[in-house]
Amino acid sequence: MRALGKAASDDDRPLIERVRKGDQDAARTLFERYFDRIYNYVYVRLGRVEDAEDLAIDTMTRSLTRLDLFQDQGVAFSSWVYRIAHNATIDHYRRNGKVTLVPLENAILPQTADPSELALEQLSNEDLRAALRDLTEEQQQVLILRFFQDLTAAQVADIMGKSVGAVQALQHRALGSLERALQGRAAN
Amino acid sequence: MPEARRLEALAERLRTVDPIAPSPGAKIRGWNLVLAGVTQSATRRPRVSVTRLVLAAAAAGVLLVAGALAASADSLPDSALYPLKGAWEQVRGTLAFSPSDKLAFHLELSQTRLAEAEAMLARHRIDLAGRALEALDNELDDAAELVQTARQNDPAAAADMQSRLQQAIATHELQLSGLQGQVTNPTALTAISRARDRALAALQAAESTGPNGKNGNTSPSPNGGRGSGSPHPTPKH
Repeated sequence: MRALGKAASDDDRPLIERVRKGDQDAARTLFERYFDRIYNYVYVRLGRVEDAEDLAIDTMTRSLTRLDLFQDQGVAFSSWVYRIAHNATIDHYRRNGKVTLVPLENAILPQTADPSELALEQLSNEDLRAALRDLTEEQQQVLILRFFQDLTAAQVADIMGKSVGAVQALQHRALGSLERALQGRAAN
Repeated sequence: MPEARRLEALAERLRTVDPIAPSPGAKIRGWNLVLAGVTQSATRRPRVSVTRLVLAAAAAGVLLVAGALAASADSLPDSALYPLKGAWEQVRGTLAFSPSDKLAFHLELSQTRLAEAEAMLARHRIDLAGRALEALDNELDDAAELVQTARQNDPAAAADMQSRLQQAIATHELQLSGLQGQVTNPTALTAISRARDRALAALQAAESTGPNGKNGNTSPSPNGGRGSGSPHPTPKH
């Protein structure tokens, strides 16, 4: 499932045209190409299987049935799908009253822990996913897209509507915040 | 450990986190919903296309009419666009409100009709030339009527309007007499002669105090005050 490369994005175009004409095989190909990725992206953000499934299904349904809203003007179809998933996630947060807007470096984490004490190899995958959810929306998004979805900084920039430099800076801050979140969890 | 290395190690650790696979049931449910949506959106697509087509057709229609109107501005009576020119002139006529504006409008149209008549004579379309000359005189009649009406309401303005009408008819007279000297077709000559007579009659009507009144102005007519009757002898060629 790793590496949604440029080739995949380019391959989407003829499929999109076919789906616009009602081609079910093309729709199936795009569904298979993106559903697992989107589910994984949403699951890491939400941490609940049922919610992640609902949002992934909702994202894919919106993506493939409202292609009239997608215009290939420099934004890849993959970016469009991730943007829909992101917006669906934000809507979900709003409906459920979850707001994570305070940057962690300014807030809840202990600043005194020794970073070198963090034993990465002892952390479970679920520990990492849970700690990610302590980050801000943008920090979560950039780390998930860069390292869980294995996208390039340019692809992430396209999805987030930022410059590559801004994504790289955000990624650096997000890793720092994640480190402190993990330290905080370890301290507790 | 330096921060850069720590963060790099953390990034590497993140890359090793296994993706979570959705349940087969979720995938089946998702695909069924997508399939239904794709089928539905494919069936409703023509409606969207029709809407867009109607909008595009309307826009094209507006452009077409605007283009045709622009093209018809210089059209001649033997052109397919000529009826459009007449329609547009009628629209313009409704936009002239003051007597002075209306007079200017009728004088402009009379000049246009005269130019059309010349062009039709040059193309040996005597019938169309005759109609253009008749239309010319209708415009002059309308102009004369405006002057008459103005004289009753605003004598000062009427004097100015009458002067403008005289100048226009004098110009027409010169053109018509020149035209008369160039054509040999008897029908054309008769039409031109009649047009000159009607133009003078219009001027005399404008000079009178009312539709049935006497002349209230002694200014000479453009042809030197030769009076009514047939002042335009048909030249012999």
